[in-house]
Formats: sequence, C-alpha cells, structure tokens
Amino acid sequence: MAELPGAGLATAQAAAPGTDPQIVVDPRKPYLDVDHLQIGLQRDGLPLHIVDTVTVSLLPGASLGIVGESGSGKTMLCRSFTGTLGRYGVGITGGRLSIAGHDLTNAREKDWRPIRGRAVGYVPQSSLAGLNPVLTVETQLLEALGLGSRTLTKAQARIEARQLLDMVKIPRADAVLHERSHQLSGGMRQRVMIAAALALRPPLLVLDEPTTALDVTVQYEILVLIRQLREELGMGLILVSHDLAVVEFLCSQVMTMYAGATVEIGASENIRSRPRHPYTNALLHSRLGMAERGKDLVAIPGESPAVGAWPEGCRFWPRCSSAADACRTGAQPAPRLVDGHLTACIRAEDVT
Amino acid sequence: MAGNLIEVTDLHVTYRTASTDVLAVRGLNLTVGAGQSTGIVGESGSGKSTVAKALVGLVPPTSGSIRIDGDLVAGERAKGYHRGSRWKVQMIFQDPYGSLDPRQQPLDAVLEAIQHWRKLSKAQARTEALDLLKSVGITERQATSGLRALSGGQRQRISIARALAPSPQVLVADEPTSSLDQSAQAAILNLLRRIQAERGLSVIFISHDLGLVRYLTEDVIVMKDGFVVEQGPTDQVLHHPTQEYTQRLIASALA
Ligand SMILES: Nc1ncnc2c1ncn2[C@@H]1O[C@H](COP(=O)(O)OP(=O)(O)OP(=O)(O)O)[C@@H](O)[C@H]1O
Ligand SMILES: Nc1ncnc2c1ncn2[C@@H]1O[C@H](COP(=O)(O)OP(=O)(O)OP(=O)(O)O)[C@@H](O)[C@H]1O
Ligand code: SF4
Ligand SMILES: [Mg+2]
Ligand SMILES: [Mg+2]
Repeated sequence: MAELPGAGLATAQAAAPGTDPQIVVDPRKPYLDVDHLQIGLQRDGLPLHIVDTVTVSLLPGASLGIVGESGSGKTMLCRSFTGTLGRYGVGITGGRLSIAGHDLTNAREKDWRPIRGRAVGYVPQSSLAGLNPVLTVETQLLEALGLGSRTLTKAQARIEARQLLDMVKIPRADAVLHERSHQLSGGMRQRVMIAAALALRPPLLVLDEPTTALDVTVQYEILVLIRQLREELGMGLILVSHDLAVVEFLCSQVMTMYAGATVEIGASENIRSRPRHPYTNALLHSRLGMAERGKDLVAIPGESPAVGAWPEGCRFWPRCSSAADACRTGAQPAPRLVDGHLTACIRAEDVT
Repeated sequence: MAGNLIEVTDLHVTYRTASTDVLAVRGLNLTVGAGQSTGIVGESGSGKSTVAKALVGLVPPTSGSIRIDGDLVAGERAKGYHRGSRWKVQMIFQDPYGSLDPRQQPLDAVLEAIQHWRKLSKAQARTEALDLLKSVGITERQATSGLRALSGGQRQRISIARALAPSPQVLVADEPTSSLDQSAQAAILNLLRRIQAERGLSVIFISHDLGLVRYLTEDVIVMKDGFVVEQGPTDQVLHHPTQEYTQRLIASALA
C-alpha cells in the first residue's frame, strides 16, 4: 500500500474558472513563508508536538533542501505545504503559514481545494508506490489536470497530458500514456509523478525523498531533469533528502531538522564547509562512503528522541559531545546568526 | 557443496505480462555459506529484486533450482517452502511503505513473526519483540501506535525487526537502509553485522551503494538485463573489474 494511494495526483483539483483564488508570485515577497510553525495533535487530552518550531521563507524561484533525522518532521512539514495534514490526524497548532499570498494557517479543506496543486506541486515520499496500479498513466494525468473539476474538454486534457510527459522527457510517450505503473521502471514512474505534480504549473515544487529508491545513474538523470525543469519554468524547489550530496546538487539553501525543530539553515556550501551545529556536523561525518570493513560504521551515539519524549533544553543534548550545563535546561534554542547562517546551538562559537 | 546455506543453480525467472515476456533473470548461480554475505549490484531493472523474491519464494523460477540449508525449495520436483523451512529465509523489502500491513500494529507484526515460527510464551514473545524493536530504535509507544503515525524511516526499521524476528538463517536485504538518514543507516548496519556474527546469518545484500557493498560483503554479483556480467570476491570485482559494465557502474557511483 502506498502512503496514501495517489496522494500526489489527487491533490491537483481546481475550482470553477473565475472563482479560483489568485496565486500571487511577487518577486520581492516570499512565495512561501513559514513562521514559528508548529504541527501536532492531541494525545490523551494533551498537546503533542511533531514540529516545533520551523521558521523559513522562500522567494519565488528559490530552492531549499531539507535534511535531518528520520522522524524529525520533514514529511509533516511538506504535508503542511499541501494542506494534507488532516489526512494523518494532525494539524497546524501554532505559528503561521502563508503561500502565494494566502494565509493558510487555519485553512480548511474547502480553502485548500482550489489552491492545492496550483500553488504547490507535491511528489510525496514513497511516490514510487503512489501510482494507482490499475489506472493507466493517462487516466492519472487527466485527474491531476483537474478533468472533471475544471472546464477542460477531454480532448484538450489529453493533449495536455501528452505535453506533460514531454516536459519530463519520457521516451515513447505515446505508448507510456496507456501503460500501468508496474510496466514502468522506477525512474519512469518518478518522471510520471513529477509530471502530475507539474500539471497545474505550480510556482513551487515539493519533492520528498524523490531518488532514494533509484540507482545512481537513474538518480542522476532525475536530478538533472529537476534542474532543467526549474530553469525552464522558473520554479521554486523544496527537496527533502537524507543525502546531502543530492541536496547540494539542486539547492542553494539547506535546512537541518532535528526533533521537530530547525537547527541550522543557510547557504548550502557554507553549511557543508562550516557546519555551525553539532548535529549537522555529526551528520556530515557519518557519511557511509568512508566505511572500513571489519570496523563499525560511524553513527551518532544514542537514540533519536521520539515525539512526546523530547528532552528539556536543547533537544540534541543527550547525544551531543559538546553539551554543557546550560544546554540541558530551558527551551529548545532559537536559531541565531553565526558566521553568515542560522544555528540553534547556544555554544556554536565554541564548539564548531 | 555441503555446508552452504544457499545454493542457487542456473536460475531463470520470466514475468509473463499481457503484452510481452520479461526475462528478468537469465542464468544465475550462487552459493553462500553460513555467516557469509553476497552483494548484488546492477542498474535499475537489472533483476536484483527478482532474485531476492525468488529466494524467499515470492516468484517461481522458470527454470533452475534453489536449495536452502540443503532443502530443495524451488525448481523441478521441489516441495517448495514447508513450515519447517520457511522461517529460515527472511526478506527486508526495498519500499518501507509497501511492505507493512497498515491495519496491523507494528508490535503485532513482529510478535506474529516470532510466534509463527517459534514456540514461546506470549509474555516471552512480547519481551523479545520489544527488545528487537528497541534495538532498531523503535519505542514501545511507537510500536503500539498505528502505522500511519510513523515516518518512512520508522516503518523501515519495523520491517527490519520483523525480518529478524524468527531468527532466520538467511536474510535477503533489498536496499534495507536507503530510506534512512546516514547515522540511522550506520546504526542499523552495525546491528545487522553484529547479529550476523552472533548467529552465523547468511546475508544477500542488494544495494546501489557500492561503498556499503564493499564494506558488508565478501562476494558480489554484478547484474545487467537479467544476466550476471561479473561475479567473484567483492574486493577483486570492485577494485579490478574485468567487465566494462562494472567499470561504468563504479565510475558513475563515484561521480
Ligand atoms: N498521529 C501521530 N501520533 C504520534 N506521532 C506521530 C503521528 N504522526 C506522526 N507522528 C510522528 O511525527 C514524526 C515526524 O514524522 P515525519 O514523517 O515527518 O518524519 P520524517 O522527518 O519525514 O522522517 P523520515 O526521514 O523517516 O521520512 C515521527 O516521529 C512520527 O512518529
Ligand atoms: N511483476 C512484474 N511484472 C512484469 N515485469 C516485472 C515485474 N516485476 C519486475 N518486472 C520487470 O523485471 C525486470 C527486473 O526487475 P527487478 O525489480 O528485479 O529489477 P531491480 O534490479 O531490482 O531494479 P531496481 O534497482 O530498480 O529495484 C524489470 O524490467 C522490471 O520492469
Ligand atoms: S546547544 Fe549544547 S547540546 Fe545543543 S547542540 Fe549546542 S552544544 Fe550541543
Ligand atoms: Mg519522511
Ligand atoms: Mg529492486
């Protein structure tokens, strides 16, 4: 089973023409603006935080990579950008989210429906399993194009579907339109998913782990495609990956997340050459490529804290080799500027 | 050869679809001893996962045979996996979203895997399941929540625990950690190596990460279009490849 069958595809649904809210792309204003965002739910009558807090803003056409601990909230954050948190029983519990000139902090499904897919194109994690196995590629692209909810003739939509496949450079496009997902290789499936996300020409594309299941050659082809698409369409990009090399290839900015919080954010080269947070630093050093046979691989000691069990103070302290007394009390440190980028480590000047 | 846990002879697998026949595996021979590991590498679609699925009995070979611990489990006159041998081979799947049943609690999935193959009291099985889950970084709370509440990486850890639950002799790991962050990958692979050493587990390790294959395996098979293009000791094959295809694979991995 996929995370949500056809999650990426079904999101694109437009309202009747004329009533569509405008998608505002103002080059001087952030297209995506996330301010102290919290995501969570009620568990046993108490609030449970999953993301707490993330602050980031992205100008139109800009790119941001998100890396970080498994379970740190990367996917939840992406879901908040597409108004799909409710499907997982969670919601925005604090802070502010605005996209394309709309404050979406308290938006409901009916507010999202006319915007979703037009404001943000989304390729969810696990999307290789996200295509519906019984429907043809064409049927799924037609759905993404909003056939049924937009005034679009079937003939016109078919032409657009075909154009989408050309956009993502799928060979044998005419044949592929009538194929089903199991007949396609992983790389081809990912291209179809990206095509569907582009259907309503969103100014921002959000990709959650788009290349994990692909081999290096196919991965490279997909990354090159994404880069070309951005150049051709002037589209912004948010890319979640646990592979820092992938992030650096496509994104000029990178954000590290740990236990629901932004712990570091800044220019990619800057963070790679001079990480200013011990967690990012440790992540950079646990590159597996340097593995020596017979010896243990380098992992960050200890376990990542589960949601609901974050320690007091800096959430990384139980695993941080530089932790001092001041790190163990109070709230999660707020990111502050050190050496040209933001870090949430109170001891950044001393320890990195 | 005696003493081999896995013995595959001239394995062929063909998928028949409405339009064509896909020759996914076209002649593969393989022996793996107790406690040994063999890697399978090759481009997307080369047939790696098909070999894995054939080993655990998920796809039938078109010809050739598979013996696990001496039992003929696939091939002509094979009895297939019977209750006594099925637990011996476990698999970790590539996709953490596809391989778990969303209607089942993670803890129950692991418990079931333990109890199905081994006679343990309920309390014992539960303790063992929780220990195993803990060793892959899953808390009791997470293990008893719905699958929907778990991240991609957390789901993959659960499938790893479930595969290890019956104490298998053979583990077929198809990209077991590619959905995890680097540090979590390291922690899980360290665990896997420890279990392998303790229990003499034989591992088939499929990965696009040649560095990890070099680190974890003694032998390696390089596949392309269902054929084995090169096979031998990992160090030799990856450091002195004789085939152009292997050379290209290594070059693109470093780029
Ligand atoms: N309904 C829920 N109840 C409790 N915890 C939840 C719920 N939904 C999600 N979580 C937790 O929220 C956290 C964030 O999950 P998310 O999927 O965003 O992680 P991620 O950073 O994308 O990880 P990965 O890299 O493994 O995909 C996880 O620890 C998950 O267990
Ligand atoms: N159920 C199926 N029906 C038809 N063809 C299939 C089926 N499963 C796999 N194939 C085809 O068999 C070939 C081998 O696929 P397989 O999944 O074994 O490759 P792989 O090496 O594991 O690739 P990847 O690295 O992308 O996981 C491919 O051409 C694939 O499209
Ligand atoms: S604030 Fe303290 S514990 Fe947290 S990362 Fe910095 S040094 Fe480590
Ligand atoms: Mg995720
Ligand atoms: Mg595979």
